Amino acid sequence: MPVVKDHSGWMRKFKNKGKDTAALRRQRVEVSIELRKARKDEQILKRRSILFSLVDENLSLGEEKRNEIIQLSLEEIVEAVNGSNTELQLQATQATRRMLSRQKDPPINQIIELGIIPKLVEFLTHADNAPLQFEAAWALTNIASGTSDHTKAVVEGGAIPAFISLLSSPHMHISEQSVWALGNIAGDGPLYRDALINCNAIPPLLALVSPVTPVGFLRNITWTLSNLCRNKNPYPPLDAVKKMLPVFICLMEHEDKDIISDSCWAISYLTDGCNDRIQIVVDTGILSRLVELMARPELIIMTPALRAIGNVVTGTDEQTQAAIDAGVLAVLPCLLRHAKPAIQKEAAWTLSNIAAGPCWQIQQLITCGLLTPLVELLDKGDFKAQKEAVWAVANFTTGGNVEQVVELVRSGVLKPLLNLLLAKDSKTILVILDTISNIFLAAEKMGEAERLCLLVEELDGLEKIEALQTHDNNMVYRAALNLIERYFSGEETPDLQPGTGHDGLYDFSVEKQDFDF
Amino acid sequence: QRVLLLVASDVDALCACKILQALFQCDHVQYTLVPVSGWQELETAFLEHKDQFKYFVLINCGANVDLLEILQPEEDTLFFVCDSHRPINVVNVYNDTQIKLLVKQNDDLDVPAYDDIFRDEEDEEEDSDNESNGSEPSEKRRRFEEDVIERTMKRRQRREWEARRREILFDYEQYEYHGTSSAMVMFDLAWIMSKDLNDMLWWAIVGLTDQWVQDKITQMKYVTDIGILQRHVSRHNHRNEDEENSLSIDCMRIAFEYDLRLALYQHWSLYESLCNTSYTSASLKLWSVQGQKRLQEFLADMGLPLKQVKQKFNSMDMSLKENLREMIEESANKFGMKDLRVQTFSIHFGFKNKFSASDIVYATASLMENIEKEGPETTNFIKALDSLSRGNLDKLHLGLDLAKKQLRAIQQTVASCICTNLVISQ
Repeated sequence: MPVVKDHSGWMRKFKNKGKDTAALRRQRVEVSIELRKARKDEQILKRRSILFSLVDENLSLGEEKRNEIIQLSLEEIVEAVNGSNTELQLQATQATRRMLSRQKDPPINQIIELGIIPKLVEFLTHADNAPLQFEAAWALTNIASGTSDHTKAVVEGGAIPAFISLLSSPHMHISEQSVWALGNIAGDGPLYRDALINCNAIPPLLALVSPVTPVGFLRNITWTLSNLCRNKNPYPPLDAVKKMLPVFICLMEHEDKDIISDSCWAISYLTDGCNDRIQIVVDTGILSRLVELMARPELIIMTPALRAIGNVVTGTDEQTQAAIDAGVLAVLPCLLRHAKPAIQKEAAWTLSNIAAGPCWQIQQLITCGLLTPLVELLDKGDFKAQKEAVWAVANFTTGGNVEQVVELVRSGVLKPLLNLLLAKDSKTILVILDTISNIFLAAEKMGEAERLCLLVEELDGLEKIEALQTHDNNMVYRAALNLIERYFSGEETPDLQPGTGHDGLYDFSVEKQDFDF
Repeated sequence: QRVLLLVASDVDALCACKILQALFQCDHVQYTLVPVSGWQELETAFLEHKDQFKYFVLINCGANVDLLEILQPEEDTLFFVCDSHRPINVVNVYNDTQIKLLVKQNDDLDVPAYDDIFRDEEDEEEDSDNESNGSEPSEKRRRFEEDVIERTMKRRQRREWEARRREILFDYEQYEYHGTSSAMVMFDLAWIMSKDLNDMLWWAIVGLTDQWVQDKITQMKYVTDIGILQRHVSRHNHRNEDEENSLSIDCMRIAFEYDLRLALYQHWSLYESLCNTSYTSASLKLWSVQGQKRLQEFLADMGLPLKQVKQKFNSMDMSLKENLREMIEESANKFGMKDLRVQTFSIHFGFKNKFSASDIVYATASLMENIEKEGPETTNFIKALDSLSRGNLDKLHLGLDLAKKQLRAIQQTVASCICTNLVISQ
């Protein structure tokens, strides 16, 4: 029963005994408040309902006023831009830039309709008026950041050569803004990208890359260069690519994540093409760095690095081997188990392409321990990743020798593979049936076909295959029927006593033999 | 619509429950009662019943944690929380839809302002999105009004806001305490609905007294709340002052008392009560030899013969009982016990039945905490709940006996710990 005392004083005495407040604060566990997102908007709306109506009133008042201002200014802008007063020109250009750089709904169309773009482009050439150049460059950048029509308006105003000249401006903020503008133009599509390249944009761009270039500027340059590597139909011209590659190699060694990321994206664009293009990239020796980056935890770095390597292994066996030599097989297992389904999928796709190689490459998959994570993915991965994994297994059984197929089966692939026969996707089912067929072929070569039958049956695979005989898809039905007729309609052989291995599955043991191929 | 009642295992909760049950009965609300004695049981009970109930009433549980986070209920589930635990979790306070808190109007919750702790996530800069999901870089980018300096400012502001928020939340949550008794809140509800009865008032009194007995509230709060209840007591029980219209002796009456804070003394002996009340035993240090001496001196000072004092209180000489309270208070002051009397209430019905509010608290608590369990887990709870109704005097008396055992056991255990030097001062 409490004695009369000051409540907080009493409490403080008790709690703080021996510790000071600072220590208490440090020990305190972080409280994280998360409002349930479903309710959040409602709550905020409810709580702010009074505020909102006030804000709305202000907005509508403001908008009228602002519209008036804009209209006045739009006319004024045109007048000033076309006039000869440099001060007014600057004011008008800056006002335009401000409108175009506000957070929501920049009036790009309105500005274009004013017809001032050619004038703005002309301002870019006023070397004696750096502020004017800068404001014009920024305004044009933002117009070009819109739709294709918007970018077109800028290009047709003659912006390309003007911006390319500005790359050599003595003012860094101006050359940076030009880099940005050119990035937007290049990003529109292969047409403008090549227009820039043909106007010789690349050398001055590359010249801007130096050890003393500030990080923000460097980020812009990397991004613009990556846009120059982007898009297909057609691909960027090879000589341009060859010029840019060495710079990307450098940029990928930078410590800034955005720069590394955009460089990797550029490489991923460049490897997304015919084998010749892949070769150009492989020849730079960049693959080890890419594999290194694949192992980074940051998604913005790991994603494009994985994509690039994934592209490389769609190439020739030698190109694939180059990726393997760079160490990709050591990194893949992690990625096959990644939390993000998209990464799982890309990793599986990469694996499936390596598995499409000759058996001396497939062997490396086995020795580098890729079978276990593959089987895991087949079992528990995201469905899209599972589909890729199915392809990996299929390719494996197509290109692998008998020993390798046996190894695959030993790794436990049959169970998840058969489970996937329940998938809704016909294409996947067909690939699985094909794979099973391949495995049976290998088994037959060893005289173990019957054991495999029992194994399949044991794993509830037979019933699944049988069920497929009534599948809607013709090809599925026929493939299933085929399998059953070939391997499962033989007579019972009761004297066959299969031995069970330590994991309870039938022992699919192989005696070492020489196989001729 | 059926309601699930989740009631914590303390006397205040039981009292609040009784009041609510009476109100439910009035309005023919169908409900299911589930006692819960901890978080695990609360969660389990919720999971078991969430498919059949949309409305949940939580008594003396649930206010101080993020209920929605812990229970993950469906969007249309509604929680009514009447809980004296403080501080109330900020999420519960600011949730407008699924959590309804029953709190007395002038209970100062001191909740931090909404804007200080919640922030619209959409204010985030756009880079956070791209950076986190590794998507392809945009084909075109617009340069915004705010340049790098402004963005850094924004980031710094956000960091400052977050630091302030941490401090605010730390201050808000660092001390746990109790607000108004849930039974009193429920009584308030009944009063607002004009359905308040004397029985309910008594339960409210018991609920408040439970808080006081368990040291859950300060003396000041207790006295304030007594004052509030006193007004209700007058309103319900003033007829007794009028000789002509006084009620039958069998009706229940509540009376204000400035009584001795000696546990169960009217159902025990004064001696036993002095020995087994923590306040007196601690003040006199009755585990020690000097303490026992002091007790003798104390009794002598009051002129109370030992033989009398050791008798059942009801059998004590009337003459001794006449000014007992004042006498004891006077002597107690000399012995360093300045708070031996306390404002409280007592209940009378019939000739024999007079109980102090604290008597009921001890009895009910001991029934609930009875280690001898007969039957399923909830039997003790139900027994304790039943004992609060006037018709179940047998349970009440059982509770009183158990309470005596309990109090004795406490004293013996504490005495033995002290005497065997198990308690070490740091």
